[in-house]
Amino acid sequence: MTRVINNDYYIALECKDLQANAMSLDCTGTYALLAGRRWIALRNLDEEYENVFKIPRTSKYEVSAVEWNPTAHNKQLCAIAINEKLEILHWREESLSVSHSLRAHTRSISGLNWHKFDPNILATSSVDTFVNVWDIRELRKATLSLSNVAECSQVRWNKVSPNLFATAHDGDIKIWDQRKYTYPLQYITAHTSKIYGLDWSPHIENQITSASQDNSVKFFDTSNPRKADFVISTGSPVWRARYTPFGNGIITVVVPQLRRGGENSLLLWNIGNTAAPMHTFVGHRDVVLEFHWRPQRQDNTNFQLVTWSKDQTLLVWRIEPFLQKLCGYEPDDLSLYNENCSVVGGDDTTSTISSRKISKIQPLQQEFSLLNVHIPNLEVKSMDSTSRIALVTVRINKFTVNMQATFPNAYPHGVPPAFQIMPDSNLTDMMGIQLLQTLGHLAQQRVSKNRTCLEPCLRQMVTTMEQLAADLESDRSFERVYAEASTIGGYKDAYIPFPRTSGAKFCSVNTLVCFARPLLTKRVGAKGDSGTPRALSALEAIIAKRSSDQMTVSAYYFQKQKQRSRSKHNLSKIANKAMVHVYDGTGLFLINRQLAEEYILDGDVATICKHNAAAAAVIGRRDLVQAWTIVELTLTQPQNDDVAAWASHPCGDNLITSLIRHYASESDLQMAAMLCCIFGKHQENSLRQASLKSILCPMQLGPRKRWFKHNHRLLFKTGGSPYHTIPPADIIAEGWVLPILKSTRSTSLDNIRVEEIVVPPSPIKIPYVALYEYYKMAYAETLHRWGLLYNRTEVMKFMTIQPEPYKGVECIPDCQTCQTPIKNSVCTSCKRIAFRCVICNTAAKASVNCCLICGHGGHTDHLEQWFERHSFCPLCGCQCLMETSHILAHIEA
Amino acid sequence: MVSIINSVDTGHEDMIHDAEVDYYGLRLATCSSDNSVKVYDIKNGVSALLDDLKGHFGPVWQIAWSHPKFGNLLASCSYDRRVIIWKETNRKWAKYYEYSNHDSSVNSVQFAPAELGLILACGSSDGSISILTYTPETNSWEARKIQNAHAIGCNSVSWAPATTPLFNGNENDQQAQQPLVKRIVSGGCDNLVKIWREDGDQWIEETKLEVHSDWVRDVAWAPSVGLHRHTIASCSQDRRVIIWTSDDCVNWDSTVLHLFDDVVWNVSFSLNGNILAVSGGDNKISLWSQNTEGSWQCISDVAKGQGHINNN
Repeated sequence: MTRVINNDYYIALECKDLQANAMSLDCTGTYALLAGRRWIALRNLDEEYENVFKIPRTSKYEVSAVEWNPTAHNKQLCAIAINEKLEILHWREESLSVSHSLRAHTRSISGLNWHKFDPNILATSSVDTFVNVWDIRELRKATLSLSNVAECSQVRWNKVSPNLFATAHDGDIKIWDQRKYTYPLQYITAHTSKIYGLDWSPHIENQITSASQDNSVKFFDTSNPRKADFVISTGSPVWRARYTPFGNGIITVVVPQLRRGGENSLLLWNIGNTAAPMHTFVGHRDVVLEFHWRPQRQDNTNFQLVTWSKDQTLLVWRIEPFLQKLCGYEPDDLSLYNENCSVVGGDDTTSTISSRKISKIQPLQQEFSLLNVHIPNLEVKSMDSTSRIALVTVRINKFTVNMQATFPNAYPHGVPPAFQIMPDSNLTDMMGIQLLQTLGHLAQQRVSKNRTCLEPCLRQMVTTMEQLAADLESDRSFERVYAEASTIGGYKDAYIPFPRTSGAKFCSVNTLVCFARPLLTKRVGAKGDSGTPRALSALEAIIAKRSSDQMTVSAYYFQKQKQRSRSKHNLSKIANKAMVHVYDGTGLFLINRQLAEEYILDGDVATICKHNAAAAAVIGRRDLVQAWTIVELTLTQPQNDDVAAWASHPCGDNLITSLIRHYASESDLQMAAMLCCIFGKHQENSLRQASLKSILCPMQLGPRKRWFKHNHRLLFKTGGSPYHTIPPADIIAEGWVLPILKSTRSTSLDNIRVEEIVVPPSPIKIPYVALYEYYKMAYAETLHRWGLLYNRTEVMKFMTIQPEPYKGVECIPDCQTCQTPIKNSVCTSCKRIAFRCVICNTAAKASVNCCLICGHGGHTDHLEQWFERHSFCPLCGCQCLMETSHILAHIEA
Repeated sequence: MVSIINSVDTGHEDMIHDAEVDYYGLRLATCSSDNSVKVYDIKNGVSALLDDLKGHFGPVWQIAWSHPKFGNLLASCSYDRRVIIWKETNRKWAKYYEYSNHDSSVNSVQFAPAELGLILACGSSDGSISILTYTPETNSWEARKIQNAHAIGCNSVSWAPATTPLFNGNENDQQAQQPLVKRIVSGGCDNLVKIWREDGDQWIEETKLEVHSDWVRDVAWAPSVGLHRHTIASCSQDRRVIIWTSDDCVNWDSTVLHLFDDVVWNVSFSLNGNILAVSGGDNKISLWSQNTEGSWQCISDVAKGQGHINNN
């Protein structure tokens, strides 16, 4: 491990072969992504070891820009620009996959930038002069496409306003509003030569800075852009200039290609002091290619700067408090700060610290005049020492607080000032209460020691506000965009039904899914309240009464053992809310899976009945045993003379139909459907016998003949061995569907359709055909749900209703000699056997497979044996298995 | 009578609003006020979280599985006014289609019977019902909307089975292969249960059933195998469950199943249509079965949601 511990920085990564030229940090500050022509690498900055995740990429183009999505909602997405292509990478479970890839521009992309608030919006700029705004949910077309005259080198979204963004064109800056995109809001002629970098102020909406080839960094107020507010002359072309997240500092780097020997490139400036840089970051052996501020985290509130240099090292810099102080930023805790600066300040001679001593007793006027009004995000509106009132405004994100502090005469001798939030603030009540509590506490602490408290209180106020705003933000980072939808209470809730918190659903065949509230919950509400409310708006009323923190459904049901502590306990409390019970409802239904597996429909009626009766006996359904026995007696030919009566008895058929009706009304669909099948089989048999006997009508034999012919079809299946034939059901594997390439079913004797056979001379009519069809279909569906495909097919054979004509891929072979398409085993035009098995060299008529490439094939079982041991064609050496699966994969795609 | 095969601790951070098992009974999906939808593999009595679907920005009210012949699709509807259809590829779900053309909370989603194709019905508090139809040829979704289906809001939708035998039982016109008719039943805040039929390219209101005296919370059209009649169950804020029966989908008879102790939220028929599960605000689940005479009896209830089913 090569970690050099230094006061200023540590090496997070040193990797010679990366040759990355772009770097980005994700919004949690965990991952740094480095992208170059040959590699994309991810470094987890939280881990101590150099754990790098590397993906090779081979492209002749450099990566021109890379950026992680800055919102928590889409934090796993990273956009990367390669020449004219834009790729969205998806980091998930330790793997990086390309989720979108598109040609975003006609020429190479020069810059990209995610929207700061909307997780789905991305802007790209390109040499082709266009600036495009994309919505990643709909990437087919850019949502906005702004045409310009000059090529565009940068695009940056405003960090405060969600609608503004800036683009750089040569030496000019354009400010756009995405709601009014036909022409720019502002056109700033900023520099005399090319602008490399743009950055918006993190706190103030209309401040922007630009870094240019002309050795200067300029700051503009976009509302009044005629002249730059400040100019920093750097002495060398500037590649990037970015605001520091604290104070009013700025960091610049030199254009990598133009760096002159020995010059150090990474500088920290204070905007208020443009004469010389405040600090130079020394550590890299070569130019810095990219730098980013690491987002601050809960456990680590230090400011950290991450830099990637041409020397192929990734450094993480700690920004010491003295540096923050140099940029006009003071940490909240004054005492801690004083300790720090005395230590650090001693080491560093360049920094001059003005230690501010607070005298024991000061008149209010003196305190006002000594107040350092340069507190970020805070504006002192008025301070009047005669009326003893101070008025300040704090703006954090979208929150504005106007606070009035009234100082009693006795202040600061043990009497704190009174803080009051003015009515024109847009703070939530809860935030206001927290803010006042914090301030009151701090003020009391100070005045109890007879010390003044205004400045600490103001600083505390900004910090508290930042925290509160950040809390809200981390809860719902997308709240800005979907604010109205994210919490209950946004709509006309009076018309929205009160949510269900318990329920039961029958699913699949016999599954019952139940969920309910845990036992310990009890309903909130007045005593004698009759029932559950009907509309969601009821929540508002009740929650308002209890002034609870959150308006959720669970707040309506409180738990008896209530523990009102903060979030961690809440989680454990909630954990048992979310149980779902899945019941096996087999006992409720007469339909039985074991029977479904055991029952057969193949063979002659007597065998079927005997087998099925035995199966029913095994699971203890004695009524079914009897039913099967009766059916057997009724439908089979007499074995001896004693029972001859039933088979030809006129009531025989009626007995069966009434049995079917009985089971159907009992909801024993299984038995009803099975009886329908058996009954159908029996009738079919008797009809067949009758019609075969009748030589009277040879005309009817004609069309029937074709049903005795076997058609052969190519059966194939996607995936796996193409020689594996499958039953003609919707395909499932482990219960999950593969894309279906269904083959037409080959007909067999059993499959003769009843309709075809029902010839006019037959006096017998099958009653309730439609109903019986329905039973069989419903039973087949049940078998499908159970995954008993073979059994399902057996039942489906008895369907008289034509299945839907098959739509999809079908393979029709051509005759080898005369090239006409053949549908049967013998070619219709040349009367030759259409297809011979390559293994046994006999006519292949039944189940046949063949290779789609070389056309050789044969009996399925012969081929199966062959391909168990070989992978090539038995005749020509074609790699049948591989080639066919390629083709099928192609069809599938 | 019923045995528990699985108790899944879903880990939702808030109340669960719906749970459903897929076609084969192998996967469980749940949705909750914590804005997420979770999918579990519940094969062989063990449960494993497959995916946690985050895409809604409000509580998710209901979910529905599609028939597997269209792929493994899961539809979810939410307070955030959107309907999302998720599709599984390699055991991970991703957004497949998002429909956001409702003006208020979407309360109910259900896929049509597979015979009719891939169609989804959604009922929303803006009073309309949307029918989303997938066309495989163009790989696109088409939405049709029944505006103002229920005056204040639509709370529930349910599809009629695609095929039914002729219940008025004239077996002589045996091959009367009915064309597939698309019908929906819906319940809403206007206390009505309405039946809709697709006629050409629009949906027309076929029948309006008026018995409930408060908001209708759920409707379910029974699979009619074991019942021999068209049957619909509806439940309401008025604490009643009503069973509607008909032979021709035009004239409907109503019977009150039971007056419950608290509002009734949920009715669900078994696959054969002979057992009805009812649940409501009192946290109890009861099962009702139809006997051969056609009357319904309570056969058991699941006590207070803790998974013990008592046999009566």
